[in-house]
Amino acid sequence: MRGPVRSALVFALIYVFLVGVSSLEAGIKIMGQDTQESLFSAAGNPLAALCIGILGTVLVQSSSASTSVIVGLVATGALGVDDAVPMVMGANIGTTVTNTLVSLGHIRQSSEFRRAFAAATVHDFFNVLAVAILLPLELLTGAISSTAEWISEKLVGSAEIEWNSPIKKWVKEPVGWIKDFWDTVGTSGNVQGGLVVVSGLAIILIALAFITRNMRHLVADRVERSINAMLSRGGGTVALLLGLVITVAVQSSSITTSILIPLAGAGVIALKNAYPVTLGANVGTTITALLASLAASSPASLTVALAHTTFNVLGIFLLYVLPFARNVPIRGAERLADLAVERRSMAVAYVAVVFIVLPLIGVVALG
Amino acid sequence: MVLAFFKGSSSDGDFEHIVTRSISMLADARHSFDLATLVLLTEADPASVAEDIRDTDQRINEAEQDLRSELIVHVSVKGGADIGSVLGFTLLLKKIERIGDQAKNILELSEAGVQLSGTPEAEDLLAGRQVLSALFAEAGELLGDQDTSDEALADYGARVDALTTEHQAKIDGFMTSERPGKEVVPLAIYYRYLRRTAANLLGVVRTSAEPFPHADYLEDGAVDTDD
Repeated sequence: MRGPVRSALVFALIYVFLVGVSSLEAGIKIMGQDTQESLFSAAGNPLAALCIGILGTVLVQSSSASTSVIVGLVATGALGVDDAVPMVMGANIGTTVTNTLVSLGHIRQSSEFRRAFAAATVHDFFNVLAVAILLPLELLTGAISSTAEWISEKLVGSAEIEWNSPIKKWVKEPVGWIKDFWDTVGTSGNVQGGLVVVSGLAIILIALAFITRNMRHLVADRVERSINAMLSRGGGTVALLLGLVITVAVQSSSITTSILIPLAGAGVIALKNAYPVTLGANVGTTITALLASLAASSPASLTVALAHTTFNVLGIFLLYVLPFARNVPIRGAERLADLAVERRSMAVAYVAVVFIVLPLIGVVALG
Repeated sequence: MVLAFFKGSSSDGDFEHIVTRSISMLADARHSFDLATLVLLTEADPASVAEDIRDTDQRINEAEQDLRSELIVHVSVKGGADIGSVLGFTLLLKKIERIGDQAKNILELSEAGVQLSGTPEAEDLLAGRQVLSALFAEAGELLGDQDTSDEALADYGARVDALTTEHQAKIDGFMTSERPGKEVVPLAIYYRYLRRTAANLLGVVRTSAEPFPHADYLEDGAVDTDD
């Protein structure tokens, strides 16, 4: 497919993605108040909300998709900003499962696996440590949501008002078609709401998958060129910015971080140099939720999207900019990689426990 | 560096840059070969070229590492679609790197006190040096030509094969020679380096045309001639 055609297709897909986000909001609004409350009651416990964020993201293998869904849900008012913030933090953790799985592909070669697994899990360590520090801070002071709310108010006004997003108007008609379709099928109430939500979810996931695939084609040469430039003359800040730019371009932090794994495995990029790229990817991936918030009617959804960005930027400040903390995730990842090489089954168990078992226990026990 | 993402077109030639730098590496290898053989075959002082040859070898090694890293980045970003070309280039770069090493090995002969200018073979050796040096230039041209004809490849291959056969015959002759060991051993070693250099040049050309030439896997249990 030629470049301009593919670019046009990406724009069309972004529009479809925004229709999906708006459909999600519309579907939830169709449901009754009781249903809405029972649906999101589990999210009332921040740890359960964190676990929901991890599990949801592991399920769709994309924090861009899960945070966009969270943004859509917040727009309905059924999910509060306070409940959504731990969820987006969980999405940050959940998204690292993809590159950890990619690193398992190197499991047969000890030294290669050690480097690849460390490069993958340094992202896990950063995200878990960031959550360990910032979630309690958020629960005690509301620092992240307050900051995000302040920025949101400056941009679109108070959370109390209905935000007249121009994009919301552009997507209104197709969302109406989806509702009309389920009307003609003969559904109503919670069933219709549920079907509109499922349609919205499907549209979001499919559109994002195609956006990512097409953007990857469009920018592959640029990504290759800039990684080569970074490898020959880069520094930490450059690597961080590059991770951000690539992720914004391909709309997926998993793609950016997964590209790093074979490079780290082959010894082309050292762990300390791969680390800032993953941090940039963490920030870059928040662009999708910000985009999704443009299709929502409530400034609260923008607040949540900005909370995701704020959380990641603060995390970088705490765990990368501060020199004494910079090596903590690196050392943790190296130690874990050593253990994983000693006992390969531990690597598989790590993925299962951190990304599935513990979050499941969290949702069941705390939700 | 981040700006590299925004510069240029989104579809720059995938391997043109690798080919260009490979040709440059080959030119460096020829430079080292010419210097190293000149010192061995004339009365020049090895110390006068040692630094140049070692710096050039270092430059070739660094270029090889850079380009191999770029090839890994290529596969990581774009997946396995170009895996044949990537493996072919990896092999090609390794062969050029070996040619650089062989020039250094020839220099080390001189540094060890070997001097072939006074031998009965001196004139032949100087003429053979010219032939092999010209093969470097031809290899560079063939490498840079994307539409190399099969005839040109076959012609180059036939000439290099004839040369390596001649080198092997010389080596075999020296192995059974009645002449003193201190005369024939350095000659045998020198011809061994020449044979390897020629075979690696052929390997470069063949790999550029076909990443996995049959020549690398000889039948009848014979070994790869260009290692």
